[in-house]
Amino acid sequence: MLSPTATIEETELDLITQAQQGDRQAFGELVRHHREGVVTVVYRLCGDANMAEDAAQEAFIRAWQHLPGYQPRSPFRNWLYRIATNVALDVLRGEKQTVDVDALPLAASGPSPEAAVENMERAEYVRQTVLALPPASRAVLVLREYEELSYQEIADTLDIPIGTVMSRLSYARKLMLEALASHVEV
Amino acid sequence: MDEHVHAWLEAYHDGELHGRRLQQVESHLASCKECRSELEALQNLSALLQESPSPAHLMPPDRFVAQVGLRLPRRQEEANRRGSLNISWRAIPFGLFGMWAFIQALFIVIDLILLGLTFGLGDLLSQGALISLNRNELLLWSIGLNIGLSMVIGLLYLSWLVSWWVGRQHTQNET
Ligand SMILES: [Zn+2]
Repeated sequence: MLSPTATIEETELDLITQAQQGDRQAFGELVRHHREGVVTVVYRLCGDANMAEDAAQEAFIRAWQHLPGYQPRSPFRNWLYRIATNVALDVLRGEKQTVDVDALPLAASGPSPEAAVENMERAEYVRQTVLALPPASRAVLVLREYEELSYQEIADTLDIPIGTVMSRLSYARKLMLEALASHVEV
Repeated sequence: MDEHVHAWLEAYHDGELHGRRLQQVESHLASCKECRSELEALQNLSALLQESPSPAHLMPPDRFVAQVGLRLPRRQEEANRRGSLNISWRAIPFGLFGMWAFIQALFIVIDLILLGLTFGLGDLLSQGALISLNRNELLLWSIGLNIGLSMVIGLLYLSWLVSWWVGRQHTQNET
């Protein structure tokens, strides 16, 4: 069943209002809608699928607890991402660095006979390179490149000035471009 | 040729430029190979990042929703229960004070009645049951009872104070 965007947003607003009043089933629907997005954000930030699902659940629980204070001024998705990003950063702070920069895969440097394998290795190399970024810059890069949030939305999500968003994004890209030089240069 | 636009390329790539600045960058890009190749590097990086795999082997959506649901109510109710317990715990001193005030008021009324009886009002009630009791003895009894009950309330308040202090030390150690 296809419905216009306006209707979807209206339904979501209804669900939010119901969930704010304590309706767990309505909240369950919201969880269903946003599960994939939230899990993916956390996964991009922490790099482990199991951890991502667990942290995403934690994010939804925090969202439930803070839901009465949510104001529909900002998109619900961004509000959720804000919580999820903070949960992921908390997890990362607790775990300390899971990725050792020196242990980055060497696979991408050696040409592979099969293009498919090479593509997969390259994708994995890219993923590892993202994970090797400092968490603060990684969060900005993930929200921009994968979630396509605007600078202002990222600033709101991470509660940092827009100038900091730009400098962290710039820093993350600089490191990425250096690490991926052979794939990116034109 | 006009100045390079390195500083604006990222914002341009991210769709954050508008108006005059956007026009300026676009017209510069049309004529500058160096800035163009820098922009291409940014575009290639974005494309590369999109190749990075999404999380594989996720649990089915239904299970995820169910697990969140299971974790929800328990925590919420726990917080509520803890909250209401906290409130009634804090209300104890007020309850004790209320009890004490009530007892004082009661004894003041009793003493006034006894005083009235001593000053002749008792003659009106000479047929009553009270007349058979010694009034001074009654007064002593009421004072004794008053002091005794006040001490009990005082002790209850003291023990509340002690457990409150112990609880506070405990939470301070936790944090
Ligand atoms: Zn230029």
